[in-house]
Amino acid sequence: MLWLALHFPLLPLEALPLRQSPSAVVSRGRVLACDRQAAEAGVKSGQKLSTALGLQPGLAVFEREAVRENGALESLACWAGRFTPTLSLAPPNTLLLEIGGCLRLFGGVEPIVDAVLAGCAEQCYSPTWAVAPTALGGRWLAQAGAGAIYREPAAMQAALAGLPCAVPGWPAEAQSRLASFGLKHLGDLQALPAAGLRRRIGSEPVDDLLRARGELPDPQQPFVFPESFAIEIELPARVERAEALAFAGQRLFAALAGWLHGRQLLVRACTLQLKHDDGSLTALVLRFAEPAADEGRFLRLLREQLARLHLAAPVEVLRLLADEVENKPGASAHLFDAAPVGEGALACLERLRARLGEAAVQMLGEKADYRPECASVHRDAAADVAQPKPSPPPAAAMPPRRPLWLLPAPQSLAERAGQPHWHGPLKLLSRAERLESGWWDEGEAAAAGDVRRDYFVARNPQGQWAWVFRDAQGWYLHGLFS
Amino acid sequence: MSAVALPATLAEVLARGDIWRGDTLASLPTSAIPSGHAELDAELPGGGWPRGNLTEILIDRSGLGEMSLLLPALARLSAEGGWLALVAPPWLPHAPAWAAAGLALDRLVVVQAGKQAAWCCEQLLACGGFAGLLVWPEAGIGAQALRRLQVAAEGQATFTCLWRPLTQAAVPSPAPLRLTLATSENGLSVQILKRRGRPAARPLNLSLPRPGRSSRALAGPSLSLATARGPAAAAVA
Repeated sequence: MLWLALHFPLLPLEALPLRQSPSAVVSRGRVLACDRQAAEAGVKSGQKLSTALGLQPGLAVFEREAVRENGALESLACWAGRFTPTLSLAPPNTLLLEIGGCLRLFGGVEPIVDAVLAGCAEQCYSPTWAVAPTALGGRWLAQAGAGAIYREPAAMQAALAGLPCAVPGWPAEAQSRLASFGLKHLGDLQALPAAGLRRRIGSEPVDDLLRARGELPDPQQPFVFPESFAIEIELPARVERAEALAFAGQRLFAALAGWLHGRQLLVRACTLQLKHDDGSLTALVLRFAEPAADEGRFLRLLREQLARLHLAAPVEVLRLLADEVENKPGASAHLFDAAPVGEGALACLERLRARLGEAAVQMLGEKADYRPECASVHRDAAADVAQPKPSPPPAAAMPPRRPLWLLPAPQSLAERAGQPHWHGPLKLLSRAERLESGWWDEGEAAAAGDVRRDYFVARNPQGQWAWVFRDAQGWYLHGLFS
Repeated sequence: MSAVALPATLAEVLARGDIWRGDTLASLPTSAIPSGHAELDAELPGGGWPRGNLTEILIDRSGLGEMSLLLPALARLSAEGGWLALVAPPWLPHAPAWAAAGLALDRLVVVQAGKQAAWCCEQLLACGGFAGLLVWPEAGIGAQALRRLQVAAEGQATFTCLWRPLTQAAVPSPAPLRLTLATSENGLSVQILKRRGRPAARPLNLSLPRPGRSSRALAGPSLSLATARGPAAAAVA
C-alpha cells in the first residue's frame, strides 16, 4: 500500500467557488481560515472577527458550514476516482488515495502526484500532501506540510520522528502531559517504554503512533462512489453572468468525470440545474453525440451552452445530475497507435450543435419515396451514429440518374414555343421519366402531396445541367446535376 | 565554445521538403488524394487533391459538373471510412444521388452555418476527425478569414475545398491551389490559376460522365429490341 494523503487546510474557504478576495471563514466569532490576500494584511486563524475586520476592512466574511465542506470533500473524492478506485475520506479536510495499485498505469509516483496537484490547482484547491506507506503516517505528514514521497517505512518513520507532539485529534490532556514531560517530538515518545506511556497518556495516542509507524494494522473505510450522481455547489455570491458559471461548473464536471471513471461508466446526457435567487430553476441539458467520460469535452460543451444562455435571474446554486449513464465497454489499448490528434468528429459536431442549434447540423439520410423532395431526410447527428450501420445494398443496376442538388422548392420556368427557358432555351436530353406518387398524404399540411410529373434532364446554352419537370401547370426547375 | 554550424551545401538545401524549384511541381509533404482524372493528377502538385491545404475552385455558375469533378476523390475518402462535411451548401443535397455516387450517408454531415461558416470550418478542421470539407463561404469572405482557414487547414489530414465566384479570380488568396472551371463541348474545362510550381499554361479538357444522352442510347426501344432478337436469330440460324 502506498497512500497519497491530501490535506486541505483552507477547505472551509475553498469550498466556496467564485468568492471575492480578500475573504475569510469564521466560526463562533473567530477566524477559521482566510485567503492569502487577507493573510498578507495580518489576518490569522483564531483571531476575533472584529480584529480581522480592523486589519482588513474590505474582508468578505462567510460563516462556516460543515455540510458544505463535506460536500466539497465528497466531490473531491469523486473527482479523484480518475486516479484510483481505492480512496478514503478522513474528515474534516483530508483525502487519502491508495496509489500503490496504479503506479504502472501512470508511470510512477511522481506523475500521479503531479497530476493530482495540477487537478487540485485547476479547481482552485491548495492542498498540502505526502506519500507514505501507512494512511495515518501520510495524514500526519501531509498535515505537517511535508510535500514529499516516502516509499519505504524506514524513511517515513524517520520523518514521523521529527514531527511535533501536538497531533490534532489527540486529547488535550495527553498533549499537556507530554509537554510537561518535556517531550517535543514524536521520536521522543518512541524511546519510552510503551506500557508506562499508555498508563500516563491513555491507549489511544499510543495506538495511533503504532498505526502511523505501520506496526499495527490500520484498515481504512473505503469511499463508496455514490450510486447516482447528483452534486450541488452553493455559490457564495449571486452570479449574474452565465460565463462566470463555467468556473464553478468545472468543479462539478471534474467530479462527474472522476465518478464515471471510478464506476466505469459513460454518460450520454446530464443536466446542469441553475437555481435562481427567486426560487426558479433553469435546466441546461447537455447531450453527447456518443457516451463520454472526458472532462475537457464536458467543459467545452458547457461553455458553448452558457455562451448562448441569457440568465433570467441571478444564480445561487448549481446542481449537476447524470441522467443517462451506461456501462463502459471494455477496450484494449493499441500497442503502437499514436493517440488521435484533436477531439474527433462526433465531439466536434456536438459543439457545433450547441452553438448553431440542433437543426443546423444534421446528417443526410435516405428514405424510400419516389418524390424527390421526400427522398432525403435529415437525421439527428447525435442519434445512433455510435454504432455504424451496415450500408444498404447498392441500388439496382442502372438506376435513373438523380441530381446531387435540389432546389428548396420547384422554380417555375417560362415557356416559349413549347420549350422551357432557364438562362436561355433548355435542350431536353433524356426521355421523360414519369413520377406519379404521394396520394396517401394528399391534403395533409406541409406534405408534398400527390404528384404527377414528367422529369427530364436538360441543358441550357451556358452548359448547366438541370433537372426539370412538366406537370399540368407547366415547366419547373427542380434540381441541378452538378 | 560550441562549434560553429557549417554552411549547408546547396544540394542539402535543395533536398529539403519545404523548398521547391520554380521549374518543377512541388511535392507536398502530406499525401494527396488521387482526383480520379489522370490528366488532372499530372498537373496537380503531389499528384492529386492536397490534404492539409485550402483548395479554391472558382465557378461563375453551378451545374457545370463541378461536383462530378470531386466525386471520385470524395467517394474514395468515404470508402476509407472518413467523415465528410458540407458547410453552408447553397441547395439541398439530394440523398439518393449522393448515395449512388458512393458516399456513406451516415458519415456525411450538412452544416447550415450561415454567417458562422468560417468558425465552423475552423472547428471542423481542428477536431481532426474529418477527411473532407466542402465549404461555400459567403461572397464577402475576407482575406483575413481565408488566411485563418488556411492556417487551420495546415497540418490536418483534411481535403478542404472552397467554392468561390469567378469574380474573385483576380483577388489574391492564401489558398495554395486555385482552379477555375468552365463548360466545354464534351465536359469540363479546368484552368489551374495557381499551384505550387511553374504556372500551368493551357486549360485541361476533362470528360465527365453526364446524365442524359448516354442513358437514352442504352434504354432506347430500338437497341433493346435488337439485343433481344440477337440470340433468338442466332438460334434459328
